[in-house]
This record gives sequence, C-alpha cells and structure tokens, in this order.
Amino acid sequence: MGPIRSHSTAIALMTAVNRSEMKISNNPAETLVAFSIGSGIGVAAHDPVGGIGGILNFMLPDSSRANGVNPARTPFMFADTGLPAFLEALYAHEARPDRLKIVIAGGAHILDQTNAFDIGQKNFEVLKAGLDTFNLKIFHENIGGINSRTLSLEIDSGCSSIKIFGEGEVKV
Amino acid sequence: MTDLKDIVKQIDQLDPIPAITTQLMALAADPDSALSEIADLILNDPALTANLLKTCNSAYFGLNRKVDSLRDAIGFVGLDHIVQLVMLNSVARNLRNQSQGYGLGEGELWRHAVSSAHIAKILAGKFGITQHRHLIFTAALLKDIGKLILGRFVAFSLEEINILVHSKGYSFNDAEKKIIGMNHEELGAMVAQNWRFGDKLVYIIRHHHLSNESAREDPATSVVYLADIICMMMGICTGADGLSYRFYSDVLKRMDLTETDLQAVIAETGENQQKIDQLLNLI
Repeated sequence: MGPIRSHSTAIALMTAVNRSEMKISNNPAETLVAFSIGSGIGVAAHDPVGGIGGILNFMLPDSSRANGVNPARTPFMFADTGLPAFLEALYAHEARPDRLKIVIAGGAHILDQTNAFDIGQKNFEVLKAGLDTFNLKIFHENIGGINSRTLSLEIDSGCSSIKIFGEGEVKV
Repeated sequence: MTDLKDIVKQIDQLDPIPAITTQLMALAADPDSALSEIADLILNDPALTANLLKTCNSAYFGLNRKVDSLRDAIGFVGLDHIVQLVMLNSVARNLRNQSQGYGLGEGELWRHAVSSAHIAKILAGKFGITQHRHLIFTAALLKDIGKLILGRFVAFSLEEINILVHSKGYSFNDAEKKIIGMNHEELGAMVAQNWRFGDKLVYIIRHHHLSNESAREDPATSVVYLADIICMMMGICTGADGLSYRFYSDVLKRMDLTETDLQAVIAETGENQQKIDQLLNLI
C-alpha cells in the first residue's frame, strides 16, 4: 500500500520574520511570524485571490534619522523606506492593492513615554500616512499599550493572529 | 506575601561565579594596572584562556591571522574586548538558564542580557564615559539576574501583579515589590553582593529602573537604564513584564540624548543584531 495522498499531510511551515525584515510567500502551507514586536510595527498584508501574503517588521519611522545606518542596506528597518519596498515586492507577484487585507500590530510604549519620545506612536503615524498615500485601508489594528506582541499570517487562509502576553490572542 | 527569607535562600542555587571575574573587574578599572598583570590573571585559568583564543579566532572578529597566545589576543582584539569576553563567559551559565514566571523562552534572558550590554557599550562610548565602561557593560549584562530567582514567585502572583500594572498604573517592578515584597532589582543586587562584586555594580543593579531619584543623576546607572529601555522598545526578549517600566524623559535630557539620538541607537543596534547573535552562539 502506497502513502496516502492528501493535502492534510502537507507539513506546515513556520517562517520567522525578524526585525527590519520583510517576507513574502505564496506557499499555502506557510505561516509567517514576527515575534516580540515592541515599539516597532508588524504589517501583515494578504491577497486572497492571488494567494499571496507577507509581513513587514519595521522598527523606526524615519530613515533620515538613522545616523550612520544606511537605509539602502536595511530598507525594512524603517516605515518610510520599508512600506513602499514591501508593497512593490507584493505587487510584483499576484497581489493587487484593492484586494489587500492589512493587519497591523505593535507600536507599544514604555510607561509615561510621551510625545517626542513615543517612537511607537510615531511609527503608527508614519505607517498610517504611508498607507493613505497608497490608498490602502487598515482592516484591523492592534496598536499602543505596554506589551509586546507576536503577529502571524497564514498564507492559505489569510488569517492573522496577534498574541499579546497576558491578554491572549486576537484572530482576524 | 511570600516569606522573603525563602526567596533570598535561593541565591545559593545559582552557579557560583568564577573568582577571576571580580579580580579582573578591579584590575581593568585601575588605570595603573599593567597589561601583563591582567594577562597573568587570565592565564591562571586554562579553560577560560582556551575559550578566549577560540573566540578571538572566530569569524566574529574576522582577524586575518591566527591568534595563538593571550598576549597576541589582547594585542589584536584589544583589552576591552578581552575583559568583556571574560565577563560574558563568567555569567553565561547562569543567564542561559530559563527564567520561569516572566514568560521568557529558552535563552531569552541571555539574549536580552547580551543585547543590553551591547547597547550600554554603544551609549557609554557616545557619552564618553570611559572610566566605568567595564562596570557599565557588566552591570547591563547582570541587571536582570534577580529574575532567575524571582521568576518562580512572579509565576504564582502574575495575575495580581498584572492587575496593579494594567489597572493602577504600577510599573512591573513596583508591582513585584507590592505583591511579593521584593523586586528583581533588589534581589539582583543581593546576588551581585553575594558574588562579591563592588559597591558600584551592586548599586547599578539595585537601581537600574531608576525608581530612586538620586540614581537618575548617576551617569553609569542612567546608561544601563537607557540600554534596558531601548532593548524593551526593540522588543528584544520582552516577556510578561513587556514594556511596563517607567520612562524618565528628564534623564534623557540630562544626558543630552534627543529623540533622534534614541532612534539612531536603535538603528545601530538593529544593524548589529547579527553580530550580537554570533556572539551569543560563541560563548
């Protein structure tokens, strides 16, 4: 008797998206995960028709303020350089802007970290403005607070999960 | 409230730190020490010497020749690196242990410690604090050592601690103190004392979240605090306590650190993440 052939036997792949990275996949068995996001923000984008999705895991809002770090070498560290490059990579595949489901998580702050020093909030503002420029709407956001988060995206279903330590998990 | 004696008793369960660690700290901090004195001290420990040579010959340092003596190693990678490698070697065994209660995975306390020490080194360089540079590096490395013991007690009280943090605006360390009777800063300072580290190092560990107002005026303690804050913002191995510690903008102002500087340090650390990971695997 030969092996049973079934989709359910496909090995589920979990791929980490590290800080200052982005990953794109069209493998239905793959789940992308950005672990332990602090003040940075994880952006999950998924096109159900194209069967493609990706996560961008950036840390800082503005590449012009990264004294000594070359944004050409690490574009995905910053919202202003990371978002356009991330979208460009998605569109180079089957993804279309009007079909993208966008989920964002992160932007946490230290207690009493206000105004000028609240990099989490700045990250959110720059990301939001960037998404507006590309005419993209946020499907779900989980932003701010004093906990770190883990964001994942299942390529097959387009389902995103946001885990917040001590507060459980949100699935969207 | 937990009997504090039960907690303090657990300090003995940690692996003792090699005697060379504190001797080396004292020698390295003394501008009159001769290089040969430091080399002789390290050579007394053959296993440590062998380990240092292995590290110096690794891709991490990328030297274009083989280093086969400690004297060469000091010459090529510099005394500062050698002292810091000894510190990393001395504390690795303890910090590699999993700390329960704080929700940290295997090796995460170690990763956080080494990343903090790396950031503290960048900051100390930025602020030109050369006198205490080894002390700052070691303090940043050891600041959360108290979590290794307190974690078990935090696990029992996490729900109560979280209520204070999320509903009453407590910082995590103040909530630990209120619920358990002791926080990881106090316990960490006791560990450092037990290991016979100097008063200054004990002080920095004791106050690294700067709840104490006078600690906010101490540059060395402030650097370790900032390194911790930056690590948390980057989400480097943040657990149950997350980012729930107080931010003191006056400390940044006093140190003349602007928001742009803060972003630059985060970017620099992010760029060095691979280097830090290499170091983690080497020790």
